[in-house]
Amino acid sequence: MTASVLAAGVVEETIRAFFQGLPIGAGFALVAMSFVLTYKTSGVFNLAFGAQAFISAATYFELHVRRDWPIWSAVLVAVVLVAPVLGLLLERLIFRHVHAASAVSKLVISLGLLVALPELFKLIVDYNREQPFGAVGIIPDGTTVYRLFGRYPVTRDEIAAFVIVVAAALALAALFRYTRLGLRIRAVVQSPRMTELNGVNADWVSSGSWMLSSLFAGLAGVLLVPTTPSLGTVLEPTGYFPIVISALAAAALGRLVSLPAAMFGGLALGVVTTQMRTHVPRDNVILAELQGPALPYVMLFAIIVFWPAIRRQVAGADPLLGVSPPPPALAATSRSRGMTIYTRIMALAFFTAVGIWTFGYANDFWISRITHSVIFSIIFLSIVVFTGLGGQIALCQVTFAAIGAFGAMQFAQRWDISVIVGMLAGAAIAAAVGAVLSIPVMRLGGIWLAIATLAFALFFHDVLVKYSWVGGSLFHGRGVPRPEFLGVDFSSRENFLILSIAILVLVGVLIILIRESSTGMALRALRGSETAAESIGVISWRSRVIVFSVSAAIAAIGGGLLAMEERLVGYEANFDPQTGLFWLVIVVVLGARTVEGGIQAGVAFVIFPELVLHRWFGLDGAWRFVLFGFAAISFARHPEGLLEHGKRRSQALMQRAFARRAPAMAAAGAGGAAETGEEP
Amino acid sequence: MSLLAADGITKRFAGITALDDVHIAVDEGERVGLIGPNGAGKTTLFNCLLGLLRPDAGSVSFDGQSITRLPIYRRARLGIGRTFQRVELFSGSSVRDHLLFAHRIRSGTGALWKDLLGLGLPKPAEIERCDTLLESLGLGGMGDEPIEALSLGQSRLVEVARALMTQPRVVLLDEPSSGLDRAETTALADTLARIQTEQGFGLLLVEHDVELVATFTERTYVLNFGKLITHGPTSEVMRDDEVRAAYLGDFVAGTS
Repeated sequence: MTASVLAAGVVEETIRAFFQGLPIGAGFALVAMSFVLTYKTSGVFNLAFGAQAFISAATYFELHVRRDWPIWSAVLVAVVLVAPVLGLLLERLIFRHVHAASAVSKLVISLGLLVALPELFKLIVDYNREQPFGAVGIIPDGTTVYRLFGRYPVTRDEIAAFVIVVAAALALAALFRYTRLGLRIRAVVQSPRMTELNGVNADWVSSGSWMLSSLFAGLAGVLLVPTTPSLGTVLEPTGYFPIVISALAAAALGRLVSLPAAMFGGLALGVVTTQMRTHVPRDNVILAELQGPALPYVMLFAIIVFWPAIRRQVAGADPLLGVSPPPPALAATSRSRGMTIYTRIMALAFFTAVGIWTFGYANDFWISRITHSVIFSIIFLSIVVFTGLGGQIALCQVTFAAIGAFGAMQFAQRWDISVIVGMLAGAAIAAAVGAVLSIPVMRLGGIWLAIATLAFALFFHDVLVKYSWVGGSLFHGRGVPRPEFLGVDFSSRENFLILSIAILVLVGVLIILIRESSTGMALRALRGSETAAESIGVISWRSRVIVFSVSAAIAAIGGGLLAMEERLVGYEANFDPQTGLFWLVIVVVLGARTVEGGIQAGVAFVIFPELVLHRWFGLDGAWRFVLFGFAAISFARHPEGLLEHGKRRSQALMQRAFARRAPAMAAAGAGGAAETGEEP
Repeated sequence: MSLLAADGITKRFAGITALDDVHIAVDEGERVGLIGPNGAGKTTLFNCLLGLLRPDAGSVSFDGQSITRLPIYRRARLGIGRTFQRVELFSGSSVRDHLLFAHRIRSGTGALWKDLLGLGLPKPAEIERCDTLLESLGLGGMGDEPIEALSLGQSRLVEVARALMTQPRVVLLDEPSSGLDRAETTALADTLARIQTEQGFGLLLVEHDVELVATFTERTYVLNFGKLITHGPTSEVMRDDEVRAAYLGDFVAGTS
């Protein structure tokens, strides 16, 4: 008797969770279908959908809540007008022009947009993040509760979300089946080249699908606010990350190319989410996490690693992958001896001047800024190692930096061990975590690797940091002392700056040694041609795992130093995943292939907002996100980075100028071959 | 026992039998040809030997050891070198770098700690070895050239040089004549023959160009529709009616 009552209770809970899961899954499904639409039609894996969803939602609340527009007109503007126009602009102004670029460079562009778009929106609209909006849906009295079959409670918002998504999916199906645009989209997906030869303008099809996918993203952005805890009472773009991750998981179920799989995958993941919340016991810490914030990341990671369709897709060639242009040789390798000497003298003079000013005249504020620049240069060198040498994109360097910072903190707080030892232990832990994390996903490479590392960064941020053995406890705080090391006290600003510079130089030299030695050779071979590299015996996944671990350790050392400089782990200010996206963007924009590129990015990251934006132009520091975010577009054309590109151009110009004046000199300076080989 | 041997290789793609019970063997120091018209299964067999494809049945062995389940890089490290039909070079690297990379991988000196201590930098002796090989292939003085600056014929020679730097015991050449004219093909064949005689590795030439196979190889296998139709000394194979039929069509073979 009691057993049957209990069973009836379980059944009822299961059904209730099912009905609660559908509207959540509906939101995942909308975003997942957006991913699939743009990936299929333009080969862009658009992570910026999170930003697009945010912009529609923020527009809606700006209009409806703050300016008291009626619901229908606010929805009309925010979803039906703003979202498709934004999609059209992105396609017309950006993605159309990078059609032939590789999938990874398109991914970098979308990351730049993910950083830039919300900040641009906030600057233009004067969006006030302190204003608590409250979770307001687009349905009047959305919180009204109905009871399905007399017992299962659902709110009006939830019903609306589900109905709208089903209607959108049906409309999409009808569009594909019955309209000319739908037929053309299907044709373009099959073969863009052949479709164009048949007289269809593939560009228009691409615009259409971008508008459509942007509309879906905007709709999801508005619909999901009432049902998503991470959007809470303050609407921020980061609140959409868990949704984007779940949607990615749903899209991955259909290998990013199947719309029906994306939709049903989204609904299924929504139901799985609520079933886990209902049935998984809470008495175990790990199981309790799985009901809450950890779930989307675990689902995504599991799908990427275990879903057989993805392995098959990676094994077969990706038809949408453009031919990535060969990375040109570095400018430094082709310049003449005179140019090299000139460059070195100028660099020496510059650093001497900066050094004299810093240690002789600079005030505390500028010494601290310069120390920050040096430390961020170290952190950014980790991106130089993995992206510049390894040729892959990882989005969790910020997590490794945080591990280094927390390592220094934990060792100092718990066991009173030197922070330097703690930082190095953090680096070792980061390297080990990097290896464990990358072994299952490194074979997949490309965008899958980027997505998996993003999922890990968000998992760390939403789950792991809260544990006291990682992020420390409220009671102890997150204080970190400056080190005392080899009998030298590094607690003064100047001494700590010297220590940071010494570590930067050491890391830079080690990276150059790696680049020029066996490990670097294997990586350069892999970048040039993976099949050819394997044919001479390069073990591709092993080389990449090694370089990923090295990069993780470097990031952790930088993170540890940053904590010592600030005398505490400023996790929220320095190490959240959104910041990590910006790190990657600024490094690849300025030049990820050289040590100098990483250092220039470090200096730009710290000094640029302070000096150029704020003091010279009187602008808000947030403009840096906008400027560098949009500059990521240049990555498709200049994957070597803007600074390296500029160097090469000015070098070519100077050599041409010299050639005109003295042909003999030009012969000596034409290339490295002439310089080393021909002369007796 | 042969150096590189494939026994009873069968491979099916979605119901189509691309290879049906194929046997092939290459010994150290000999030059063997593998010919067949388009779609005969040459490339499929090549990929099974190298580990790009796993056969549905049959086994591949090298020096008496089964390598059927080994990944590509393990086979390369055992001593199987190859070139590509569509040239696969390391874009962004110089000619000498290609040889240096191959030498480093083969000699297995690449440990991270050595690199970090500065022991992994290229040594003068290694660079000299690379330049000696380039010299003997007629690419002397081109070590510093970027790989993009080379002609197709030169690129193929760099591929051969790269394969040779791994000290292979057998080299598989995938249609080395494609894209080259008659004079370039002859020059390539002459260089290959000379190097092969000097170093004594086994050579398997997968070719389209029957004339090159006829002049260059000692033994030849002929594939058609996934089946081995004949094999033997090249001069005999070239006179075989069935081979002529496969290449020239039944009508011509019947009237001749």
